[in-house]
Amino acid sequence: MSIMKRSFAAFVGLLSLLTIAACSDTSNTVKIAFIGPLTGGTSAGGLGGRNSAELAIRMRNAQASTTHQYELVALDDECKPNVGVQVATKAAADNTVIGGVTHYCSAVAMGTVDIYHKFGLPVVVWGAVLPDITYGNDYPEIHRVNGTMINQNEVAASFMVSKGFSTWAVIHDTTDYGKGHNTYFSKSLIENGGSILGTFGVNADQQDFTAELTKIKALNPDVIYFGGLVPTGVRIRAQMSKLGMTQVFQGTSGIVSDAFIEGTGDLAEGVVAFREGAPTEKLPGGKMFLENYQAANFNEPPEAYGAFSFAATNLIIDAIEKVGPDRLAVMQELNNTRDHDSIVGAVTFDEHGQNTIALITKYVIQDGAWTVWEDSDYASGQRVLD
Amino acid sequence: MDIGFLGQYLINGLVQGVTYSLVAVGFTLFFGVLDVIKFSHGDVLMLGAFTGLTIYLGLDPLSLPPSITLCIILIASILSMGFVGALLCKFLVLPLKSAPPLNTLLITLMFGTVIRESVRLFFPNGSNPKPFPELLPTNAINLGNLNLRVDSVLIILFAVVAIVLTHFIINKTRTGLAIRAVAQDEETARLMGIDFKKTVLITFALGSGLAALSGVSTGLYYQEINFGMGLMLGVIGFSAAVLGGLGSVYGAIVGGLIFAALQTIGAIWFSVPAYKDVFAFAVVIMLMAWRPTGLLADRTSERV
Amino acid sequence: MIVPSIFRERWPVLLLGLAAYVSTFLFLHLEQEWEIALLLGIVPLVLYIAKKSGMSAKCRQAVGVAPVFTKVVFLLSALALIVTLRHEHFALLLLATVLLYATISLGLTIQFGYAGLVNFAAIAFFGIGAYTMAVLNQSQNGLPDLMIIVIGGVVAALIGSLLILPVLRTKGHYAALITIAFGLLFRSFLEVNDILGGPQGLKVSGLNILGWDFAQSFPAILGGGSFYVSYTLLALVLLIGVFSMTRLIESSWLGLNMDSVRLDETASASFGINVARWKIMAFTVGNFFAGMSGALYASMSGFVAPASFNLSDSLLLVSIVLLGGMGNAVSVIPAAFLVVVLPEKFQVIQEYRLLLFAVIVILILRFKPSGLMPRPLRRLINTSSK
Repeated sequence: MSIMKRSFAAFVGLLSLLTIAACSDTSNTVKIAFIGPLTGGTSAGGLGGRNSAELAIRMRNAQASTTHQYELVALDDECKPNVGVQVATKAAADNTVIGGVTHYCSAVAMGTVDIYHKFGLPVVVWGAVLPDITYGNDYPEIHRVNGTMINQNEVAASFMVSKGFSTWAVIHDTTDYGKGHNTYFSKSLIENGGSILGTFGVNADQQDFTAELTKIKALNPDVIYFGGLVPTGVRIRAQMSKLGMTQVFQGTSGIVSDAFIEGTGDLAEGVVAFREGAPTEKLPGGKMFLENYQAANFNEPPEAYGAFSFAATNLIIDAIEKVGPDRLAVMQELNNTRDHDSIVGAVTFDEHGQNTIALITKYVIQDGAWTVWEDSDYASGQRVLD
Repeated sequence: MDIGFLGQYLINGLVQGVTYSLVAVGFTLFFGVLDVIKFSHGDVLMLGAFTGLTIYLGLDPLSLPPSITLCIILIASILSMGFVGALLCKFLVLPLKSAPPLNTLLITLMFGTVIRESVRLFFPNGSNPKPFPELLPTNAINLGNLNLRVDSVLIILFAVVAIVLTHFIINKTRTGLAIRAVAQDEETARLMGIDFKKTVLITFALGSGLAALSGVSTGLYYQEINFGMGLMLGVIGFSAAVLGGLGSVYGAIVGGLIFAALQTIGAIWFSVPAYKDVFAFAVVIMLMAWRPTGLLADRTSERV
Repeated sequence: MIVPSIFRERWPVLLLGLAAYVSTFLFLHLEQEWEIALLLGIVPLVLYIAKKSGMSAKCRQAVGVAPVFTKVVFLLSALALIVTLRHEHFALLLLATVLLYATISLGLTIQFGYAGLVNFAAIAFFGIGAYTMAVLNQSQNGLPDLMIIVIGGVVAALIGSLLILPVLRTKGHYAALITIAFGLLFRSFLEVNDILGGPQGLKVSGLNILGWDFAQSFPAILGGGSFYVSYTLLALVLLIGVFSMTRLIESSWLGLNMDSVRLDETASASFGINVARWKIMAFTVGNFFAGMSGALYASMSGFVAPASFNLSDSLLLVSIVLLGGMGNAVSVIPAAFLVVVLPEKFQVIQEYRLLLFAVIVILILRFKPSGLMPRPLRRLINTSSK
């Protein structure tokens, strides 16, 4: 036999092996998809979410009482809508995937809701905050455990005004996240009687903000409001000190992360921010989550939305445990979620699948830690925001 | 406008400008000797900053005075990035010498991705920004609305010294002579007994060392570094080098300053400062249409 | 054995077609880590064996002898692939994406493979086409969808003409800067501006061509299948059209002129070739192709947002052309397949996938500097027919 024939035979042999492998892909576990940014600039949040979802699955699989074994299919959307559409199709078109814990970035979530609807995959959004994701459509498949930026900014505006501040400068990044926060905060602030001296849209990947901050210095507001995520927030806070600016720095849920404190060091003291849901460590379940997360030895911290990802995964698992691994039944079960116990507080979905979180927690950084406002020295008057 | 604020804009813009210039000088050096664009330059800068941070963390228990710590950080970071630059050149750039120049661009770009992703994945909690130590004095002089900090002035000084040194190496030393010879005509330089490979490697080491310096000084200035910091700095440094005229060190400096000026003007001018990049790049396109080989490059007509 | 004479010399072509079919099918289908790793090992091995055993040479010869037959075989294997995968939504989405990326890459082939014009803003022109579709398809203006696809190309070419003056005046890296600047400017502008949806992006409705609704499942009369079958078929038609045009340009005096412009502008000019005319033509035609595929892509993915059009995407497109072999129109198809499908297959290694992809591209460029399929020398005298 010539070498060609032999190699051809080997080739055919290997191919048929692969083909058999391709066709015999059957497993008995129930799959749940996780989608978030695992590479690129916003991957810190995505990895924290992925780890938290993974933790939820591991903990459930370890329980003797579960009727199914679960498997997490983690997919990377790179925080880019085109990639998001691709991986959402991948998850939704796979019939063995029963539910999805999806998206950290709002623009990606906006692009993929149609796909989940088309394929009938029930999903629970764990991080994206744009209101339109749930309120911009009537899709029964779409749910969200975290609150929208509307709730957050109403509380933020009325609280800050009540503390005696009256003028603001707003810096926001020009992504949907920052722009949305700017819209809702500005609206709430005017309603509460505060005034905005200037609004500054900046690029999220920008390094230098000294020009913008010099402009703000000239306006001399009481508070600098920042709508954006940790990396940009760290840079702005650090550069404020470069210009000798001592205004109060007020952030959004996007900076409620230990990474912000780590990145700004001593400058973090007295920074305020708002996040929906009860503080994780205050809930009995939350303490358990943080302890288990610690014990699981992940490479990355859970970040601000890890708890929501954990809660979303558990919601889906609870639904599957109750009605079995069937997309339609799970979806209906999720739609009927009322006062469901979770580590971010009781979850109730309204007719749009939005968790009606009434509670917004106010945070201030005190001695290098995010502290609930009411427990802080600032609330008791021992320290003052200035 | 208030003179104090004007001064503040000027200082801010100047710090940014010299940072861009340092990066641009690197691009221009590589282009000079090998006619290639090393697109991983921004990521090498980032790696230099992280190297500096790692060394700082290692030195921390010794509690040395800040000035000595800073010297060690700078030297170690510059040397190690110089080494990385030479390695990159030896294994990825020189072997592709006969391939189209776009290949070099792409392979260095991918190398940059490897550096970036590796820092993100393997530096402890590398996907989050890291605080950079405050090693420069932060005393500030307040002149009306101008808040002039010593560290800003020192950083401008660092960059100026580095550029003057580079200029000296290129124009006054034998190595520099070899670099210029290779840049002018590779074949003739070889015939004159210049070790071509060695000269190219030295140039890459020199340019990458400059990147390390700008990485560390960016860290010192902004007090924060992150794995993605080299992306925009790389693109802007490249733009500055091209705008000034590839191959010309002065051009790179001018290009860097112009780019920073455009961004500052854009940020002041537009009510939405995010337009500043749109503005800066649009002006760059127009300047290129006006001076197609850069502002300062020699405008000799092409040899036939 | 009696073999019809027509097949006697042509069986290697059939083998090639079969290999293309089997390998693309496997690549699209396999999911497990070990399967992908095995496949990544086998492909280079098979190629190596084929080269050593003289199989590659035989194939090349057979292809050269029967160009039309080759085209028919490859078209049939592409159709066979679509038929086999007709129920697999995700595989079809990937396949259609590959076809569309190959279409843009053909535009780039004309631009820098033939005329030597670098373009690092391909994704911006793709994006212009996509936004054209989003805007025109939303407003009920009665424009037929097929025409909107063409309009998308025209708009991209028109906006591209703004860059003609600077691109004509500059060369090499200087021209590269102009396109890089344009690409960044394009994305920034869309994001900051709210006219076209801002960072939230726009929804795009599905195609409807002559009453054939692309949002519905493939007509049962034609065998049924996913709604992506329609999009994949249309993308295939677009690619075939663009491919034929590219080959036509290459093999005619148009291509000869462009080649000469690329190789030596000064010499070309002194032989009376109008350098500017050929550069303008190459630039415009290339952007036209990118715009058309963008328009089709937008309606297929149902969503456009600025975050999908980054510099890194443009560079990905450039890498398709380089990995394939600059100037070889055929090579962009396997290269596009590699660049689109490989990162997707690496989803199994989650956050490490970008790293691995970059390493593989470095290895290919390092050891095959002229690409996987370098452009063959132009044959001015046809030697195959006697």
